[in-house]
Amino acid sequence: MRKYWQLFLLSWQNGLVYRLSLLLWRLRQFLSTVMAMTIWTVVFTSQQTAFGYSQAQMITYIFTISILQSLVLASVLNGLSGEVYSGALSKELVKPLNLFAYLGIQDVADKAKNFIFVLIESALIFMIFKPELVLPNLTITIIFLVWLLGGMLLNFWISLLFGAIGFWSPQSWGPRFLFFMMVDFTAGKLFPLDILPQAVRAIVALTPFPYLSYYQTQLVLGRLDTAGVIQHSFILLLWVVVSGCCCIWLWKRGLQDYSAAGQ
Amino acid sequence: MHNLDPIISVSHLKKYFKVYKKEPGLLGSFKSLFNRTYEEVKAVDDISFTINQGEVVGFIGQNGAGKTTTLKILSGLLYPSEGEVSVLGYNPWDRKAVFQKQFALVMGQKNQLWWDLPAMETFLLNKAIYEIPDAPFKKTLDSLVELLGVQEILKIQVRKLSLGQRMKCELIAALLHNPKVLFLDEPTIGLDVVMQKALRDFIKDYNKEFNATIILTSHYMDDVKELCERAIIIDSGHKIFDGQLQDIIDKYARNKILSLVFSQAVTKKDIARFGEVKEYSEDGSHFTATITVPRKEATKVASNLLKLLPVEDLNIQEPSIEAVIREVFQTKNA
Repeated sequence: MRKYWQLFLLSWQNGLVYRLSLLLWRLRQFLSTVMAMTIWTVVFTSQQTAFGYSQAQMITYIFTISILQSLVLASVLNGLSGEVYSGALSKELVKPLNLFAYLGIQDVADKAKNFIFVLIESALIFMIFKPELVLPNLTITIIFLVWLLGGMLLNFWISLLFGAIGFWSPQSWGPRFLFFMMVDFTAGKLFPLDILPQAVRAIVALTPFPYLSYYQTQLVLGRLDTAGVIQHSFILLLWVVVSGCCCIWLWKRGLQDYSAAGQ
Repeated sequence: MHNLDPIISVSHLKKYFKVYKKEPGLLGSFKSLFNRTYEEVKAVDDISFTINQGEVVGFIGQNGAGKTTTLKILSGLLYPSEGEVSVLGYNPWDRKAVFQKQFALVMGQKNQLWWDLPAMETFLLNKAIYEIPDAPFKKTLDSLVELLGVQEILKIQVRKLSLGQRMKCELIAALLHNPKVLFLDEPTIGLDVVMQKALRDFIKDYNKEFNATIILTSHYMDDVKELCERAIIIDSGHKIFDGQLQDIIDKYARNKILSLVFSQAVTKKDIARFGEVKEYSEDGSHFTATITVPRKEATKVASNLLKLLPVEDLNIQEPSIEAVIREVFQTKNA
């Protein structure tokens, strides 16, 4: 286990090397949350509810989504397929390491770093806007944490699936870009999915995307009944298992075709 | 001291890659959107050899001959298309931790060091990955750092180091766990002659001290000549020679070189009667020439030269290994 801890520490150090880049990147995240808060605060000056959300719910939504954004959707593995294609992965493959654990640790280290910044930024936003929040009870909080882990794992497998493209083709950015677009629309990053028509929502609910953050926010806001919680828990678990199995199979197959080009 | 059991054995190894072929030009690009033709490249085509413990073997071959592919298969990076491979009794492809802890792969052009952090951080990570206890880690690190003279640069970001400094740190990172088998792919590429020599000496010492088995590929014949007793020549995926480096000359060199110094003026035409004139110079007082003659006739030609021309000094030499190998490849590709 020590090797993975050491790797965790090193990934952190690596992430902290370029101060300006880190600062600007956090500033971008911070400003996008401030912008969303400002827009919705303005919207709620003239009305009590918007798309069925009260002001407190909407503000809580934005807070939750920004945390989920950092913990679930942000990933250092976006460039993985390039590493696979260029053969940069070779240096890990020859070492006594579990490859998935190695990649997972780097991802977790990055997420942990993000989380610390998000906490600081959230405290700042809280001081600026002094918003009213909807706070979940203990049971909901525990289920939220489980779903959060589920979302992280799901996104990890998805990143690895995209990474596997590198075994056969250098062109992973096309599918990856499509995925980002889907996530923007269906993970609730841009707007709550309630805005979509019922039929579209039903279809989206069967895809893995809303399990990356949208349903987690609905849970926190108390907008899911017990049957919904059970149903979504089941679908989330199903997606984690299915994507995990696909991933293991695809990587096994991919490593047989690995050409370690240039490395 | 060579152990008799082979540490590495390769039998009928093949590795084929499928590559996509595109016709030149924009039209070719459009065509390839709809219809692509693929070609099978035989990077390694039926190669067999065994290597015993403590041997240092040089892989010689032109670019694309299959040297690096073979090393990658021995390291477990590539899955062989056919054939059997065993390194230290393991199938490399299984990538068992117990196997991976006993070998190292160093590629001259690529690095395992974390680019944005000082080399020391990678060393500490490798310590954890290879589960090296504190005391042996410190001992090995200290001796490697001293041998390679890199005390001053361990805390500097890797990207700020010169190529030579980085290569030294690469070697340290690869050797911290005292590998029994070492695969070195172009370890001296891009280094100046002084640095090449330093690395060579170091590799030689490592082999002696730990009785380590080393396979080395290099474009520089000096590397191979100085480090390896045995060489394997690979050409287009096939093994064309496997044996003592010196035997390459006996097997492939068709000619010997005669260096001549004359006491009086001799024309080039006179000399050409005895063999192919490679060099000829005359500056009024000194007359020298170099000719090549078939190996078997060298003595006879030399004695004729002494009899018929005013020879002051005569020297019979073997051609250099470089020249012989160049000749091997040229004849094969002609």
